[in-house]
Amino acid sequence: MDDLEKELGPLDDLEDDNDSSDDHSSIGTKKSKLPLVNPICEETLKETGFHQSMRACLEQIRDAMLHHRWQEAAEYMPCYSQMLEDTSHSTAQQSKELFWRISTEILHHHPNSRLEDYNNIYERMKHSGVKHYLMICLEHSFYLMLNGHIEDAKHQLSVAESWRHGKESAAQYQRTKLIQAYRSLLDYIIWCDKKFTHSKTDYHDAGDNQDMHSYFRQASVNLKEILKNPGVWDPFILSYVEMLEFYEDHDEALKVLNDYAYDNTFPPNPNAHVYLYQYLKRHNTTDKKLMKALKVLHVLVPSHELMLEYSSLLLQSEKKSDLQKALGVILEMLDFACWRGNVDVWKRLKAIIQKLQLQEDWKDVVSEKMAARKDWWPALHFTRFHASQDSEENPELKEVKASLTKILCPDLTLKYSAGQKTIVD
Amino acid sequence: MDDEHTAGYREPCAQCAAVDWGVSDEGRFYCRSCHNVIERTREVVDPNFTPGSTRISTISRGSRTKRPERGRQWMICEGFQFILRNQADALLRLGVSPNFKDDVLCQLWRLYLQKSRQAFTHNPVTSSKFKVRGLDSDSDSAAESSVVSASETNPSSAAGSNAESSSEWSLCSGSVDAAGYLSARLRRTRGLMSMTKTLALIHLALIWSAEALTLSDLLRLVNEGHVPYVNAYEDLPDEMKLEGKDALIFRVEDVPSHQRVHKEAETLLLFLQLPAFPPISRQSLLHPSLLSLRYLMDANLPDELHLWVCRLVERTSMADETLHVSDRLLRPVLPRYDVQTAALIIVTMKLLFGLDDHTEWDLSNQTGDQDDTGELFNLRRWYRLLQAALIRAQQRRVHDIARKQWKAKKPLYGNKSEKCTMIKKKRIAEQVQVCFERLSSCPAGVDRVDPSSFRFCWGNEDGADGPSLHQKKLDGVMTLKLGVLTPLNSAYWHPALKACKPRSCSSHYSEVEPTLPRTFVWLLQLFGFLLDVKPAYLYEEVLKVERRAIDGKTHQRKKRRTRPKTQAKARARTQRGRENKRETFN
Repeated sequence: MDDLEKELGPLDDLEDDNDSSDDHSSIGTKKSKLPLVNPICEETLKETGFHQSMRACLEQIRDAMLHHRWQEAAEYMPCYSQMLEDTSHSTAQQSKELFWRISTEILHHHPNSRLEDYNNIYERMKHSGVKHYLMICLEHSFYLMLNGHIEDAKHQLSVAESWRHGKESAAQYQRTKLIQAYRSLLDYIIWCDKKFTHSKTDYHDAGDNQDMHSYFRQASVNLKEILKNPGVWDPFILSYVEMLEFYEDHDEALKVLNDYAYDNTFPPNPNAHVYLYQYLKRHNTTDKKLMKALKVLHVLVPSHELMLEYSSLLLQSEKKSDLQKALGVILEMLDFACWRGNVDVWKRLKAIIQKLQLQEDWKDVVSEKMAARKDWWPALHFTRFHASQDSEENPELKEVKASLTKILCPDLTLKYSAGQKTIVD
Repeated sequence: MDDEHTAGYREPCAQCAAVDWGVSDEGRFYCRSCHNVIERTREVVDPNFTPGSTRISTISRGSRTKRPERGRQWMICEGFQFILRNQADALLRLGVSPNFKDDVLCQLWRLYLQKSRQAFTHNPVTSSKFKVRGLDSDSDSAAESSVVSASETNPSSAAGSNAESSSEWSLCSGSVDAAGYLSARLRRTRGLMSMTKTLALIHLALIWSAEALTLSDLLRLVNEGHVPYVNAYEDLPDEMKLEGKDALIFRVEDVPSHQRVHKEAETLLLFLQLPAFPPISRQSLLHPSLLSLRYLMDANLPDELHLWVCRLVERTSMADETLHVSDRLLRPVLPRYDVQTAALIIVTMKLLFGLDDHTEWDLSNQTGDQDDTGELFNLRRWYRLLQAALIRAQQRRVHDIARKQWKAKKPLYGNKSEKCTMIKKKRIAEQVQVCFERLSSCPAGVDRVDPSSFRFCWGNEDGADGPSLHQKKLDGVMTLKLGVLTPLNSAYWHPALKACKPRSCSSHYSEVEPTLPRTFVWLLQLFGFLLDVKPAYLYEEVLKVERRAIDGKTHQRKKRRTRPKTQAKARARTQRGRENKRETFN
């Protein structure tokens, strides 16, 4: 329809504008009972020629992209760019986002795409609308980051950080936080570079040092703020802690790690405890503190590889309850099939059992721990198949396991024994 | 080639008077025949320019006020006059006789202006709304009186004299009467001009001058860009500035359909109260007898079929009737030559081949068996050729539709706020376009093809859609009965009719289509593609032709289809009978 008619509305005794005469039949169409997927390229009634062209173009682009005909898709893009000039407001937001995503995808795969093209497209799409300005900034900086242009990436994020657009920027504060976090990460990367070059040269330039420190300051200010918000901030925490360690601010580092691990408002994150443990280990803390750090990790991820260290810590301690706990830890590790073939874990188990056997009530302890496992442990570890597999691949493992069968499952006759097939009745 | 850079700069060179420009490395224009360098340079667009960057690179003291561009006052009908003239000129360049523009179109336009009281009248429709901006009250009254007295003079000269009366051009932009043009009162009279109406007016003029351009041809030329329509306002002279409400009138993003333009033309006919059209003789290319020849050629059907089409034309007495546009009192009927002719061809094929998904293939098998020389027309072979060509052509059409450029180089803004956003959007779109054009090394838009009356090209040359079947004989479907050539097929099917509401129902094609034979449906699609109309539209026309053929008398315009199937069959049997029907084709 002309703009005229759109603006003024159709007149009363209308020309039977039956461009879509097929649909105006006297029998009404029934509504489908199944939920329908809304296709992107849907023809609407009263579609102008312009919209029809754009829809056809989009279909061609989509077809070309799905079949990886990137050159063909790129050939249709100049024609599709007319869509950005569309005056109808209903689909403006969606079409801009569509255009942005399609163009970046094509650029990723087209053989002739260069960095300038990316920069160009990102800049244009950024300024085409306010709702996705921040997202595009972030994506742009990611791309620059991945291709090694750290400084440019940082510049992009700085610009994005200082963007204000009334209600829009207020509504997207989460994205702003993300942008701040990544900018700090980039500061950290630059700081790392500087530190590396700094350590390489013997000549210590005061200016360089200042530079490095300023990056540290910029990064740390932001990171401190960011890390107060609940979330999963693993890479950021690591970078912050590394910087703090370099400047020997151990209290702050410890505080940050502890907060990250033990703050209840944060989502449960096993990595937090791992980082804390690793930090403590680096700084020669007492065993007791180390064990405390690993306690929660054990609850969260019983199959974690650090459980082996945990069990060794518990083994070394003097308390009886710790020994029992060690047994529990190891058994829980072996509950998981991934540790099934690991010799070290079985050896540790053997060591624990041996130490336990020094006590009198060791049988009760063992049977108590194995009570829940009696039904399914044999199938998990001690079948004939495992016997043959282990004796072929890992005889040492076979030996260790075989010695433990009687202890762990005393009243079961298992088919697992060193080198022989036993007959079970 | 530097054509894209010289951007259509067509001034002759000062030294050698040739028009052959190139662009040198520095970006300056030079004449390729005499190497004369001129001052003109190519504008370079830097794609890496980021207008949104926050850094200020220069601070300069420029003048704050911009000199406003001068324009003159103009009325909407003047704008349309220019547009119509450009469209007519385009048609003349394509080969239409000058008589069409000078004698017919001009007169129709003047008649229209008079009837709609925009000019040539003592009582102009917009006199009360005529606001002259920037002039004092003296010239105000002068302007009014000059319009009022313009009974025989050219309306544009009235405005011209108005401009002369004021010593300088005033700071005018936008037409004078756009607001009035869009007022409810004037809209209700439905006399006012729109872009669609320009096409309708041209169509009427073409029919009157009996040019061979049918409506579907005209619309095809518009779609391919040979006749200005979309963004036609760009060719208006510079001093006519378009702004504001003008956008609503002149900006179009749609080429109207065949049906719509036809209805507009009928409305216009009623409005203009034209006398009877000059008769269309049998020698005219608009007459079904000759127009069918063109469509038969395009559809690669044998020339012998034309004989049967003409017989059908006689039988349906369309030979005479289409000669006149009947000027009935209430609603004049404008015949749709192209659609009617296509329907005639379809009905002829239905008569000869049956087209019920069985007969035609049996006949084709028979032909294939008995034909040794390959001289006979075989429907199966024809179908295969056409289907392949049709699929290719449809894909090409989708490709062209997808690549069509709709947006103007000089966009038209509705109001000031829209202007800023539109300028910004346009800049973004252009920069993105340049980026992708460079990436894919493929400019936007469709390759311009030379206009042609035919969609397909049949023959043995390179680039043909397939071998030509025009010379094949129809002996395979004919037989000699009592010494007269008659079709082998003796049955005719017709879709079931039923009662329906006369006003609210438009087309039942979508309901009926699943029950129709596939060959028939395919044929509708083929001719729908050739003419660029919907198959439903064509189907209605086929029904009308069949009704006339069965009735045998002058077509009575009834919108109701109340005769059930059995009655029609019975009538056919009692009145004519099968034997008779065949005999009348002799």
